[in-house]
Amino acid sequence: MANVTEAVEPGKGHEEHGGHAHAHPSFLAHHFDTPAQQFNAAKLGMWVFIATEILMFGGLFCAYAIWRAVDPSIFDLAHHFLNKKMGAANTVVLLFSSLTAALAVRSAQVGKRKETSVYLIITILCACAFLVIKYFEYAHKIHLGLLPGHCFGHPGFSGAIENGEEVGTCLRVHADQAAGTPEWVRAVDEDGHVQLLPPRANMYFGLYFMMTGLHGLHVLIGMSILGWVLVRNMKGQFSKEYFTAVDLGALYWHLVDLVWIYLFPLLYLVGKPE
Amino acid sequence: MFAELTHPSEHDDDGAVHVHVSSAQFYWGIFGALVFLTFVTVAVSYFDFGSANIVIAMVVATAKAGLVATFFMHLRHDKLFNTLTFLAAFLFLAIFILLTYDDIGRRGQVDNDYGGTINAKTGQAAPGGEPATSATSNEANGKPPEAP
Repeated sequence: MANVTEAVEPGKGHEEHGGHAHAHPSFLAHHFDTPAQQFNAAKLGMWVFIATEILMFGGLFCAYAIWRAVDPSIFDLAHHFLNKKMGAANTVVLLFSSLTAALAVRSAQVGKRKETSVYLIITILCACAFLVIKYFEYAHKIHLGLLPGHCFGHPGFSGAIENGEEVGTCLRVHADQAAGTPEWVRAVDEDGHVQLLPPRANMYFGLYFMMTGLHGLHVLIGMSILGWVLVRNMKGQFSKEYFTAVDLGALYWHLVDLVWIYLFPLLYLVGKPE
Repeated sequence: MFAELTHPSEHDDDGAVHVHVSSAQFYWGIFGALVFLTFVTVAVSYFDFGSANIVIAMVVATAKAGLVATFFMHLRHDKLFNTLTFLAAFLFLAIFILLTYDDIGRRGQVDNDYGGTINAKTGQAAPGGEPATSATSNEANGKPPEAP
């Protein structure tokens, strides 16, 4: 490994930090030889963490792939309950926040501290905008009764709801009058059409709430991280020589963007259009 | 080889952090491309290409993800080992999904619970499990009930 200590003339010895060509900067942890080594180690650690995050979401993506392969018809039906325009708006909001996160890192790289703060603030505001739009989407679906256990519940667990009884604004409908038959769900979709959903459409909405929910949790965590980076930046703890936290915080935010880039088409777009 | 993967930079000798700084205009350009691709993927979703729908959506999404990872996440000018770490996650994800897919796809061949037959031509049911009930088969056929 290329190491500054190699530059020291032989025989000069290694006193306390004396072997280093540079003074030991305050941001350099004592177990690293150089800022570059510290930076590269942090980056590698972040990428390993990102790999584990992809695999965590991977469980849900796998469930999605399997259920879509087993029963594509429920995806065709149920995706009409998602609002494409809101999803697209949220995509653009997240892409823009990714841009400002990248610009925040760029400003940090060239040592423009104020610019970094401004870009970080814009990124956090975009995250808030994303969550507000998501709130309206969730609220509408919860109002419709598309959460598990409302309209979609096993007859044995939701005996209180009679055939044809309204739950929220959806309706449970027996396939036939025989007891114990699965109940279909009648509700109005985003296009204003009355849809009759099979009970197993529950799986689509389950995936929707879990995938966007886990993603939403990452948005919240990402906001907290960027907020912490912002505070440190305003305290003047970063410089052209040391901006690791800005870089890694932005990497986390880009990961949030990456996941959404796949969630948006998988949940909102790939069903059969009308 | 490993040393080359982890230390391809010619700047490492002085021990200071050296990174490639892209221009702000360049990042805005990438953002423009991402918004354009978003527009494309939404626009084509209004047309039905059958089973190609998901392929088109995933190709566009992967192009967008590639732009974000390559430029916003600096992989283009980063150590190659970080890129390999990132791609390794997708390799294992592919193994995970493909093997599960294979399992689910073939389970019906041995299990009557999943409507499996020993021989699709003769329709002879596979041993084990219970025959499908009329209620579940009606549901499986995708026939909606009469609305009250």
